[in-house]
Amino acid sequence: MAYEGLDFYDIESQLSEEEVMVRDMVRDWVDEEVIPNIEEACRDGRFPEEWGKALGEMGVLGMTIDEKYGCAGMSYVAYGLVCQELERGDSGLRSFASVQGSLAMFPISAFGSEEQKMHYLPQMASGEWIGCFGLTEPDYGSNPGDMITRAVEDGDEYVLNGAKMWITNGTVADVAIVWAKLDGVIRGFIVEKDDVGFSAPEMTGKHSLKASVTSELVFQDCRIPKDRILPNVKGLKGPFSCLNNARYGISWGAIGSAQACFHSAKEYALSRIQFEHPIASYQLVQNKLAWMLREITKGQLLALHLGRKKDDGSWFPEQISLAKMNNVDMALEIARMARDIHGANGILDEYPIMRHMANLESVKTYEGTHDIHNLIIGRWITGIQAFTRTV
Amino acid sequence: MGFQSKGCTLRGTGDKMTEIAVLVKRVPDTNAQILVSGDRVDLSAVKWVMSPYDEFALEAAMLHKEAKGGNVTAITLGNADCDKVLKDAKAVGVDRIIRVWDDSWSELDSNQAQSALANVIRDLGINIVYCGKSAADTGAGSTGPGVAERLGWASASNIIGLEFEDTGVEAMVPAATGNARTGVSLPAVISCDKGFCKPRKPNVKGIMMAKRAQVEVMSSDIPSSSVNIISHSPPPKKAPGQTFEGASEVPRVVAALRNDANVI
Amino acid sequence: MSETIVIAETRDGELHPVTAELVSAANNLGDSTTIVVPSTNDAAANSASSIAGVSKVIACVGDCFAAYDAASWAEAIDSCAPSGVIVCAASQNGKDLASRLAARRSISVVQDVVGIDGGTLTQPIYSGKAMQNLSLNGDAAISVRANTFAAAGDGGSAEVSVMNQSADVATAVREMIAKASERLDVAEADIIISGGRGMQDPANFANLERLADTLGAAVGASRAAVDTWEEIPHSMQVGQTGKTVNPSLYIAVGISGAIQHLAGMRTSKYIVAINKDPEAPIFKHADYGIVSTWEDALPVLEAELKALLG
Repeated sequence: MAYEGLDFYDIESQLSEEEVMVRDMVRDWVDEEVIPNIEEACRDGRFPEEWGKALGEMGVLGMTIDEKYGCAGMSYVAYGLVCQELERGDSGLRSFASVQGSLAMFPISAFGSEEQKMHYLPQMASGEWIGCFGLTEPDYGSNPGDMITRAVEDGDEYVLNGAKMWITNGTVADVAIVWAKLDGVIRGFIVEKDDVGFSAPEMTGKHSLKASVTSELVFQDCRIPKDRILPNVKGLKGPFSCLNNARYGISWGAIGSAQACFHSAKEYALSRIQFEHPIASYQLVQNKLAWMLREITKGQLLALHLGRKKDDGSWFPEQISLAKMNNVDMALEIARMARDIHGANGILDEYPIMRHMANLESVKTYEGTHDIHNLIIGRWITGIQAFTRTV
Repeated sequence: MGFQSKGCTLRGTGDKMTEIAVLVKRVPDTNAQILVSGDRVDLSAVKWVMSPYDEFALEAAMLHKEAKGGNVTAITLGNADCDKVLKDAKAVGVDRIIRVWDDSWSELDSNQAQSALANVIRDLGINIVYCGKSAADTGAGSTGPGVAERLGWASASNIIGLEFEDTGVEAMVPAATGNARTGVSLPAVISCDKGFCKPRKPNVKGIMMAKRAQVEVMSSDIPSSSVNIISHSPPPKKAPGQTFEGASEVPRVVAALRNDANVI
Repeated sequence: MSETIVIAETRDGELHPVTAELVSAANNLGDSTTIVVPSTNDAAANSASSIAGVSKVIACVGDCFAAYDAASWAEAIDSCAPSGVIVCAASQNGKDLASRLAARRSISVVQDVVGIDGGTLTQPIYSGKAMQNLSLNGDAAISVRANTFAAAGDGGSAEVSVMNQSADVATAVREMIAKASERLDVAEADIIISGGRGMQDPANFANLERLADTLGAAVGASRAAVDTWEEIPHSMQVGQTGKTVNPSLYIAVGISGAIQHLAGMRTSKYIVAINKDPEAPIFKHADYGIVSTWEDALPVLEAELKALLG
């Protein structure tokens, strides 16, 4: 049976014609190109280069950015739908698009000079240049404010020293947005792959996001020209505003993973016969399927409403924290439950279940861990921040 | 536009601009479950798509424009629900999108539908029309040749290959004894099978173009209907599965596939 | 008296046997049936005159009938055929011609008729997922599917009148090219023959390929076959991690029917299973199961199909 997304509350009726067209365009591509090849890519631990090119050809990289820079100027809801369909294929694929659009292109468009925008954005929108985002460090994950990476001025150049870790796309990136302290203040820098003193070794041995490239970024007296600083932002606001966009995309992406698991579990339950009847006819299995539908439907409403708020500018960051946290959490639970319904078959790569489950463990942690998002919401409720204390 | 000679020599269109049209139709997704409720099919829950063969016709029209210049007009017949297939065509780059309809019309029979399409095509000064070999709803395949006859044009149906020439096209037409490499002079209607080209996909920019594009609505005189739809009914139920013992039963299975299942 | 006109189906200038079925269909519709036989000479018309239940045979003779050309065929046949309901075969050219003739006479066309009951015609719609029942309000052109009506018998002796026609052809066949026996992709094919590990050796898939050539089918495989033998590529795999297919006919040979395989093919319209193990789960899903080794069953199948399809 061809894939049709679960849409219990007729979310589609709330979408514009072009939002539906963009979703269907990506949905078809994922069905035709991604799903038949994803297991092999995972086995090889490789992100297929042609997928990046295809995303560029479809025009979904940085798709909310202005048309003047070779992008599409589309709604955040359309961007969310793209994330949903990509992650239905694989979280690693959605990660690629999130990093390119929200974490690398967005800061250039929001904080870059006009020259930087004209130089980088069209090439990145087409997928010609790949971007990455360096914030997290080996010792500073949830607490990026205490980062070690430093930049110092030296004549016409900045000199960067330090290291970043868990950087999606790092090894394959042409352009890295690197956050480093200049005179004690966090600033954004554009580092290019051939810059002297810059290297990006790949991290291997992951049991999750296997079709995604994860790297370290190493700066050893890395020299870049002065016009590579992002002129229009200072402090943590810079990276955090990027993360808001990426987290927003994840809240939709997780629905895609959950849909893939639900779809597989439903099909399996209807066709698997035990005790002479399809297991879908048993109450325990129906209970699980009903729970999945319930959580997916709630997650869809959350993401759609947040998307409309993103589009009209009435959102605040804690709302994004809630959506990211909730939707990834429900997707992970659905993946585990789907594995249960698939029985032993659920561990095979014949089914997408274990892959989504393992991916979602990463997604739960990256871009603000589940617990950190709880603390962000806790602070909003109580007015008391619970991140730091003097012990 | 006058009636063109039907001689064996392929006539060109002179220095006239090639005006290319592609006929597209909105149909239920071919994977959709079709339910009959009361005595009519119930299509309220189906997903609607452009008929699959029309995607190949659309690609052929775009390739024709790229090879020989001209404009591509996508035409559909139906009420405003059918705008979406025109937008889908616009998203892959057609120049103009036209919906043929009149609010006094309801379901049209083939005579009415072909008349309406032929009249509009004539008025638009089109000289080549591409369409799918059949639509996924009726599966009839009548529109291409029927429109051609009403216009007095040549046609080639079910084509599986296509080359563009200055004065016409060369189509590969399947025949019982092989494939016929066939020259077709313009004006002509070409109905397309799948497989000879890969329909292009839209991209976000095309979709934004489609969003801004206006659907033109055109109408036409049509004859009165001469077919009465009495009812729809579910297909005859398949017999329950049968198992036969031994290779000597194979002829019985082959006969059943031929006579009962009608699949060979 | 209502007049029905059968347009004879010909193949290489000879009368195709389906014409006798069309005569039965026509006799269900009206009370006087005329056959129009398009050809470059009158030989086929003479053989049509022996079909029982025919009032009149018109040999529509012209050079344009040397190769199929819709416009000139329609023009020539139209001027030979009296008015009435026109009946063509629902073949590729028959349907094309029915459309042309209807358009030429400004009447409606009804394709793929599979039933005629009094004034009610039945045709499949939505690829056979529903049937449409309709009546005609005046003349029309219809095409009738093969195997719908029993062929009319022999013993007729209708008068043959020859009408020479000279319509100009609109299209020119430049060359006939033999059909390449190119292997269809399983995702595209309307008939699929798949082999499983029960084929014992990848070389034995040659048997499936020969059958596929006869049927115009694609050759598929189960995951077990693809995983076991390097020679069977992943592109042939039908199932959960392979392709999901939806053909009219799926023939599973030496495939047990694991749930992962069924996931890829269970929506096939008709499923034939050949397996030596009567307990194989595939039989629960088959419309026609044959309990036999493939070594015994395939030669019979091939011979039967060759006899039927040529």
